[in-house]
Amino acid sequence: MLILQTLQWGPQHGYAISQTIRAQSSEALKVETGSLYPALHRLERQRWVKADWRISETNQRAKYYRLTPTGKKQLLKERDRWDQLVAAIAGVLNPNPLKG
Amino acid sequence: MKLWDWFLRRRREDDLQDEIRAHLSMAVQDRIASGEDPAHAHRASLKEFGNVTLTREAAKRSWGGAWRDRVAEFAQDVRFSVRVLLRSPGYALVVIAVLALGIGANVSVFSLFNALALKPIPGVERSASLGVLVSRTGAGRILPLSHPDFRDMQRELRSFEQIAGTSMEALTIGYGLRAERQFVEIVTGNYFQVLGVRASLGRTLGPSDDVAPGKHPVVVISDDLWRREFGSNPGAIGQAIKVNGFPLTIVGVSEPGFRGTIPGLALDVFVPVMMAPQIRGVDLLAVRKAPMLWGIGHLRSGIAAADGEAGALWTRLATLHDMREVDQRAAVIPMWSSPFGAQTYMLPALALMGLMGVLLLLVVCANVSNLVLARGVTRRGEIAARIALGASRGRILRLLVAESLVLALPGAALGVGVARALGVLLRNNNVTIAGGPRPFIDASPDVTVAAFALALSCGAALVFGLVPALRSSRVNLAGIMKDDLSPRGGSRGRLRDALVVAQVAVSLLLLVGTALVVRSLRAAETSDTGFDSRNVASVSFDVKPDGYDEERGRAFYQRLLDTVRADPDVESAALASQLPLTLVEGASHALDIDGVPARRGEDRRAPANAISPDYLRMLRIPVLAGRDFSRADTPDVRQVAIVNETMARRYWTTPAQALGRRIRLDNGQWRFVVGVVRDIKYARVTEDPHPYVYLPLDQAYRSDLTLHVRGRRAAGLLVRAQNLVHAVDADLPILTAQMLSDQMAVALSIFTMVASILMAFGVIAIILTALGTYGLVSYAVSHSTHEIGIRLAIGAGRGEVLRRFLTRGLRLGVVGTIVGVVAAGAAARALSSLLYGVSATDAVSFSSAVAVVIAVVLGASLVPAWRASRTDPIAALRHR
Repeated sequence: MLILQTLQWGPQHGYAISQTIRAQSSEALKVETGSLYPALHRLERQRWVKADWRISETNQRAKYYRLTPTGKKQLLKERDRWDQLVAAIAGVLNPNPLKG
Repeated sequence: MKLWDWFLRRRREDDLQDEIRAHLSMAVQDRIASGEDPAHAHRASLKEFGNVTLTREAAKRSWGGAWRDRVAEFAQDVRFSVRVLLRSPGYALVVIAVLALGIGANVSVFSLFNALALKPIPGVERSASLGVLVSRTGAGRILPLSHPDFRDMQRELRSFEQIAGTSMEALTIGYGLRAERQFVEIVTGNYFQVLGVRASLGRTLGPSDDVAPGKHPVVVISDDLWRREFGSNPGAIGQAIKVNGFPLTIVGVSEPGFRGTIPGLALDVFVPVMMAPQIRGVDLLAVRKAPMLWGIGHLRSGIAAADGEAGALWTRLATLHDMREVDQRAAVIPMWSSPFGAQTYMLPALALMGLMGVLLLLVVCANVSNLVLARGVTRRGEIAARIALGASRGRILRLLVAESLVLALPGAALGVGVARALGVLLRNNNVTIAGGPRPFIDASPDVTVAAFALALSCGAALVFGLVPALRSSRVNLAGIMKDDLSPRGGSRGRLRDALVVAQVAVSLLLLVGTALVVRSLRAAETSDTGFDSRNVASVSFDVKPDGYDEERGRAFYQRLLDTVRADPDVESAALASQLPLTLVEGASHALDIDGVPARRGEDRRAPANAISPDYLRMLRIPVLAGRDFSRADTPDVRQVAIVNETMARRYWTTPAQALGRRIRLDNGQWRFVVGVVRDIKYARVTEDPHPYVYLPLDQAYRSDLTLHVRGRRAAGLLVRAQNLVHAVDADLPILTAQMLSDQMAVALSIFTMVASILMAFGVIAIILTALGTYGLVSYAVSHSTHEIGIRLAIGAGRGEVLRRFLTRGLRLGVVGTIVGVVAAGAAARALSSLLYGVSATDAVSFSSAVAVVIAVVLGASLVPAWRASRTDPIAALRHR
């Protein structure tokens, strides 16, 4: 889901994805390359992302991953589920003070 | 496709490589940009990236195609197994050889079964599913249908796609001056269409050959006969051959490979049924009482439905034509149980051999299992290392099973070779029957047989590989890492013990079976056939095709007998229409007995033999009451007959009571019984006693006869007898010539065949058992070296050690023997149909089998036990 989220704003290559996740989570989350690439390839197999080779801003050939329409749908669905989960956990951790 | 897959995968791998490289170089650039020095930046990025190879592997796994990995993994296992096995070729060779024996024995039995039951008629598609239309009497006897009945059924029966009629008869075939006795198929016009057999030359018979009696003097011959007799000359079409002296024009040659519809026999001549009156000399085509044709054809429905329809149709037709004397009805039976052909007498024997084959395979599996187990112990280190490195139990199992398969497949290939060798053994026992058809069983391995061998070996591999593999994969890591090689826990030992017990039991079973059949063979060989076959030559001929009419024939017979009897080497001579012990029952005749009416549904029939006066005396068949035939029994005086003891006792209670009574054959003239003689074995050694009638040759003229000559010695008698026949008529073709004692050997050929196969199975089984016991005891010895050393060191005698290991082997042997005797006792009852002269619980067979097994077990344990007792205690103790 995190990968799909980072791709929401446009095509990215693997290195950029890992850097973005790291930066946006304020270094709290570090995606291991050992899981990043398998994950990317899995997403590609499920046709949620599409990959092609492009020249990067630093003038290097790199594989760019782009969100597909189904991928976008999947992202929304997972976000929904995540929000519900967060809300539920938050509910358990902070019981409504009004009731307490 | 495969290449494309491989190419695609290769490209993706390159892709991944590039991707990772790009990732790294960007990371390095980032770090340099933020001010790190290049070398440090490179190292740091690599460190941050982690294990490149692991990432690649993980990414690859995400590509899916798990089955492809499995295949690759399996291929890898196979390669590894081959390498490992090449390193211990002794072990591999022993396992492959043992497997080849077991598989070969089974394949050879199966290829016979395949030939007889699965494709009984060579050259015909789906021949195993052919249905056979017969008529069954109330007494359960199976007869052909009469020609008019067959036509009625053929017209109305819906459950057959089409139905052809056929019958087999031994006739004299003349090619120019030469003639031979052959079995000929007399068939309806649609015969070839129904079977889907085409002509390779000319045409087959067709419906146009089925129109008017006597108007179709044509014949189709087999490809084999065409090559044999006409040298593959296309000019054979249009030539004539004489069938029982009647010329028929060859119109076609059937496809190669087709040998008629009698399983196990090769037939070469196919005559339209419309010509039967001309060939047989009697017109039975319109007689509803004369059984003539078997129906054969592909079924539309199942056998049971077809049988039901045939029965119902018969009942309806029977009300229209009230002509049948005995209670009978039409029935449809499957090809494999049809009353003609080799399968009738071969299938029971085959079932037995198949059973023995399975047992033998069990011994083989137990043996190989034992070897694999023993090896599993020496490989515990390797397996423990694999498990320690993270291999799952399933993975180890797969590896071990792959290894079994690597052993099983060469075993299967070699097994087919063994089967071929055994096939030669079988064929040698296929002795030709005198005056009978050529045996023809195409038991050469085909695709079905190869598939069977493959399935068998894979199954065997799973059985012998999986059990030990399950055991090997459940290893105690800590124990092995501590280099503890002593067999831990009793369970492993118990499994091996059980395997040896099973082997002993199964070999005992096989040996008991072998002993029973061999003793049956001996009993049959020495059995009282009721006549004396020593020094008797038989020469068969047929004078009718040679131009003799009845009057000249009688004169010829008299001249022949006079000439032969005048020879100084000849003791006595006689003529008879039937030869004893031909395996094929002669034609039987409807029998009427004056004053003893047939019970309702009783099918009263008896075979008959037309004999010259000296016949009974010459074969030394004793006359129990009344007299032998004499020269006075001429056509003009009272018609007489001699019956056998069984017939006399069945209808008139005693031989003496039978004298003077009247009997009639095939609604012919009434004949007075003038003599009663002792029973002999007429067609088969193992047949049950049945009524039999002798007619005086002078009162029952036949053109086809066999001259029996008893000489003072056997040497040269056969040639002498033939020369004597030719001395009287130099042009008379001799159909067969054989010593009667050789005929006996043929009559015993089935016993001989079963006995020799069982003997081979039994020998293989006992060798394997010896190997298994030897292996077990020597294994136990080698793993107790330490213990033996201690025992010897503290004062145990060598004899004590010897006894200890000997008892171990013997205990298993005794347990196996007890199990085996119990199993054999149960199994032998199933054998009883194949036994002759011995009971299924024959003490001699059982005790000799037990003795052999115990002796072998004892011998096999003695060698390693003796070696154990020779252990040097100092060396044994220093070993650890």
